Amino acid sequence: MKLFREHTLLITLVLGAGFSPAIAVDFASDIRPLLSDRCIKCHGPGDKKGGLRLDSRDAILEAIDQDDLAKSELLYRLTTDVEEDHMPPKKGGTKKLTSNQVELFTEWVMDGVPFEQHWAYIIPEKAKISGDEHPVDHFIGKRLAEEGFEPNPAADPATLLRRLSLDLTGLPPSVAEVDAFVSDPSEENYEAQIDRLLASPHFGEKWALRWLDLARYADSNGYQHDDLRSMWPWRDWVINAINDDMPYDQFTIEQLAGDLLPNPTKDQLIATAFHRNTPTNFSGGSKVDEVRATLMMDRVNVTGQVWLAATMECASCHDHKFDPITHRDYFEMYAFFNQSVEEIAVLGEGMFRKKFIGETVEVPTGRENPEQASKLQAELDELEARLAELKQSSTPGIKPQIWSTQKEIRALKAGVAELEPAVVHVLRDSRTPPETRIFERGSYLAPGELVSTGTVDALHPFPEDAPQNRLGLAQWLVADENPLVARVAVNRWWAELFGRGIVETLDDFGMQSAPPSHPELLDWLSVDFVENGWSLKSLLRTLVTSHTYRQSAVIREEVALVDPGNHLLWRSPRHRLTAELVRDNALAISGLMNREMHGPPVFPAQPEGLWDEIGGADIKTYPTSTGADQYRRGIYVMLRRGNPHPSMLNFDAGDRSLCVANRPRTNTPIQALTLLNDPNFVDAAEGFAGLIRDREGDESAKAHWAFRRALSREPSNAESNVLLSLHATDPTWFDVAQALLNTDETICR
Amino acid sequence: MNPFSLNPGSSRREFLRNGTVGIGAMALASLNRAESATNPYSFGTSKGVHALDHAPKAKQVIFLHMVGGPSQMDLFDPKPALAQYEGSSLPSEVTKGQKFAFVGPDAKVISSPYEFRQHGESGMVMSDLLPRMSGVVDDLCMIRSMKTDEINHSSGELVLNTGHRLIGRPSFGAWASYGLGSENSDLPAYVVLTNGIPVAGSPVWGAGFLPAQHQGVRFRGGAKPVFYLDDPEQIDRERRKRIVDGTNALNQLSFDRLRDPEISARIKQYELAYRMQTAVPDMVDLKDESQSVLDLYGVKDPAEDTYAKNCLLARRLVESGVRFVQIFVQGWDHHADIYKNLKGKCEEVDQGTSALITDLKQRGLLDETLIVWGGEFGRTPMAQVVSAGGDPTGPGRDHHKESFTVLMAGGGVKGGLTYGSTDDFGFGVSENPVHVHDWHATCLHLLGIDHERLTYKYQGLDARLTQVHGHVVKDLIA
Repeated sequence: MKLFREHTLLITLVLGAGFSPAIAVDFASDIRPLLSDRCIKCHGPGDKKGGLRLDSRDAILEAIDQDDLAKSELLYRLTTDVEEDHMPPKKGGTKKLTSNQVELFTEWVMDGVPFEQHWAYIIPEKAKISGDEHPVDHFIGKRLAEEGFEPNPAADPATLLRRLSLDLTGLPPSVAEVDAFVSDPSEENYEAQIDRLLASPHFGEKWALRWLDLARYADSNGYQHDDLRSMWPWRDWVINAINDDMPYDQFTIEQLAGDLLPNPTKDQLIATAFHRNTPTNFSGGSKVDEVRATLMMDRVNVTGQVWLAATMECASCHDHKFDPITHRDYFEMYAFFNQSVEEIAVLGEGMFRKKFIGETVEVPTGRENPEQASKLQAELDELEARLAELKQSSTPGIKPQIWSTQKEIRALKAGVAELEPAVVHVLRDSRTPPETRIFERGSYLAPGELVSTGTVDALHPFPEDAPQNRLGLAQWLVADENPLVARVAVNRWWAELFGRGIVETLDDFGMQSAPPSHPELLDWLSVDFVENGWSLKSLLRTLVTSHTYRQSAVIREEVALVDPGNHLLWRSPRHRLTAELVRDNALAISGLMNREMHGPPVFPAQPEGLWDEIGGADIKTYPTSTGADQYRRGIYVMLRRGNPHPSMLNFDAGDRSLCVANRPRTNTPIQALTLLNDPNFVDAAEGFAGLIRDREGDESAKAHWAFRRALSREPSNAESNVLLSLHATDPTWFDVAQALLNTDETICR
Repeated sequence: MNPFSLNPGSSRREFLRNGTVGIGAMALASLNRAESATNPYSFGTSKGVHALDHAPKAKQVIFLHMVGGPSQMDLFDPKPALAQYEGSSLPSEVTKGQKFAFVGPDAKVISSPYEFRQHGESGMVMSDLLPRMSGVVDDLCMIRSMKTDEINHSSGELVLNTGHRLIGRPSFGAWASYGLGSENSDLPAYVVLTNGIPVAGSPVWGAGFLPAQHQGVRFRGGAKPVFYLDDPEQIDRERRKRIVDGTNALNQLSFDRLRDPEISARIKQYELAYRMQTAVPDMVDLKDESQSVLDLYGVKDPAEDTYAKNCLLARRLVESGVRFVQIFVQGWDHHADIYKNLKGKCEEVDQGTSALITDLKQRGLLDETLIVWGGEFGRTPMAQVVSAGGDPTGPGRDHHKESFTVLMAGGGVKGGLTYGSTDDFGFGVSENPVHVHDWHATCLHLLGIDHERLTYKYQGLDARLTQVHGHVVKDLIA
């Protein structure tokens, strides 16, 4: 690719340029990354090798000779030829500092070791900007101007409306909506479109998706058996909360501690199912206390990850190697969650199956059928009676019969449950919670020192009047003094629109994080977000009204040579829709989509036998949806961890075993096969072809309409010709429909 | 200050300084992270992200996972001393503080009824249950001192395949695909064949947090083994080609307008997909294999998806440059009636496994192909006589994590070597323990990879197959 070759050449030229006199060292950009990458793993809060830490100025000064800075131990270790003294040590695999880096280090020491707090731990402030400037364009523009570049011109109105609709609701605009906007692309009308889309009930469906990834939401337990469970009322709670623009601080408190609020509503209880999304291992040999420890650790990890972009997990076995999170901090956080009642118990005799216990909330499904349920119940009673008989019997070889009956009973029970109100597991604290001890090396079999509740000491203090329970923890998270929580959220939502965070490491704001590309912008938006009552909708309004958002996606080679990754945002990023939206978009274009919201998961066609492959599962038959249910939006598609829908996996949806902040976006031949041959997408092409056939007008008019239905914009002559020549060999329009649904532009925004 | 200016006055030093926050550094940072991994060029002959750390001994891996945990003391690691304890408990100092899945520490010992003999020039010992594998012992390297951390199938399978007991981590095969890329443009780099599925399901061959293109692609048996490979009924090959060409004509016009390289990648993927539609069925069609080869493996009916057929497919796949082939064989979890059930499993795998080694050797491929054979854990020296549901059963053996045996062959391992040993009870490792992490480190080493250097940033950690453990066992390497 010519573009990239030239870029490499350019870098080589720049690197080859000569030296010039020294300039002052910047700690944050020059020194901290080196300390973090090359030193802190051994000389940090974790290992303190040789008794030396290099993560604070005071500690570093111990390796500095104040009387003769140049003779400091620190510099000797970096420069010596004596192999056993040299740092970082050769055999550790950590890269040596280059001579330039040593030079920077030397200069920094000679400057007197100036040190500053890691940016993410400093409370953000709003930089001043002039009144009539758009804040996003101000900061993006400033940086672009520094590099000597201009942003792209605005995208054409049709493309812009498509982008806005897909970004805000996950659905494409209709041709009529596009026509109306193209005929009046004024500022007022653009803002009216934003208002319309933000008010759409489908807004919540789109913006819940990212949250479901973070919350590791699924419809089954995971692991062996992988039984189904009803978590969907919590998923609906998220959709509603986002549609209502529930302030993010409240959104946080209700999910972490809705049950601890005074007189909690049913919805507030359902919100706490957030932390019952944890995968749960009910395998035969798993122990109840082991499962509980895994659940609690998962809650600490996910809480840290979701709200702080902290990599808590590192501190589950020892002090964090890079960040100021101690092993003790970890278990003090654990103590908040460990106040919960027992949630797992052994079911019946033997140790083969366990079940959930603890607090639940009943939610109507809209599919209750008491009559059918009592019929099944009668069958169930009969089976139970037969099982009792079998167990009495002393006939040899009876075992397999007993097992299959037990299995039948479990499957039937699940069937009965389907016809009754859904039971959602939620959080509740115990009046007599177990004590919490630090697990040595993270093992529940090695309990050590007793700890009580607490938060990460190196961050802001726990609010004085807050209770020592999950409610207090939630209040600590959303306290004004927390420098992280707004930044982390704003950064992820930014990434949802722009494809990449201002901080690229969406999952890590610690010492190993990528530096923000536009730090002042992130801070401005974060402060503004809180000032606007933690409103997601108002944040999004700010983002999508910017020119940065509205510019065209065309790649200008002269800029791409310098910034191929578009880190400066000189063009609108293009990226592929997420798995759920690839589906939604195709269904919407085809006219097949059923826009019904909420409720139990649906089961669009999938290859046969997938559920049969789940180890030890009772429910092995996938109850394929028929009728309109098979065309519901992707967010409602059954997600069974042991074998999720293959189309979703093929487009990078995960199995929701872990909290995921950043889904990869791949581009594979399997995706092509899915779009071409998965019956769901074949149905979509057939539906779309039917719509084209039904259009008034001649072939050209039909082709023109089809193109606009898929892509909103006007086709070029060449594009129309492609469609017409496909039509020439296939008068049914199926081939045209499939080609349009498969084109890169259709599955990208 | 423009770090990209070619002005000779702008210094290299200045560039580097600005580089740490400048776009150069940002671009480099992202190259080092996800972006290189989400590289659009997925299958196809891609280079992988990881330059080799040293000259590789093996280029590809065939991983034969005996799901459930074969009994080491009935197959590979004879324990005559157990006869003295038959029917009584092991000394309490042996079992104290140990974890068991179903039996208690007082469970009664059961010895092995099988004959063990020495074979080959090496004199490696094997039980009579595996007569054909006994014939290739000089190519096998037997590790009797394996250890793992888990006593449950799902977590044990996950440790063996991903190095971590929880679901969501990349599998060994995914790491190999990520690190080394693919050498065949029409097939995935990591193919999974199954004779029964592990209980932890597809996460066992998943990509975890690596990009999805590195997950194992399961060939499901039959003539069209990949999902969505088949065109809908009404679409013949010619029509499919017209649609793909039409799609790509539209893609090309988009590219001309937008200049986005992601679009050219998409064009390539559609061409590949079209080729895969014939390449994959060709791959699984055994009609060009001679009768003598079919007989060697014991393939009686080529339409039947037996273990023997899967072994032959594994050879065909590595022959065409697939990086990592895995066969899962369910059914080794012999809690009850072990002497009936174990014999059957051995008959199922003995011929295919030995044929695979023989065949690869004849074709000169054994040196560059690492074959591994083993379960997620071993089995207890004590008998299990009560089922999980609490009912009496014929004797079996429970899960055992303190010691078990795996076999390796080809790919630079020492043939004929028996490595490590267990105590007289066959309970714990007495010499040269090899933890699963060490074993992973060793396998990666054979592929030319330093296990500490093949990493992927996940939640701030440089995540790797061996987590924070693992030592290469040099003694195993030829």
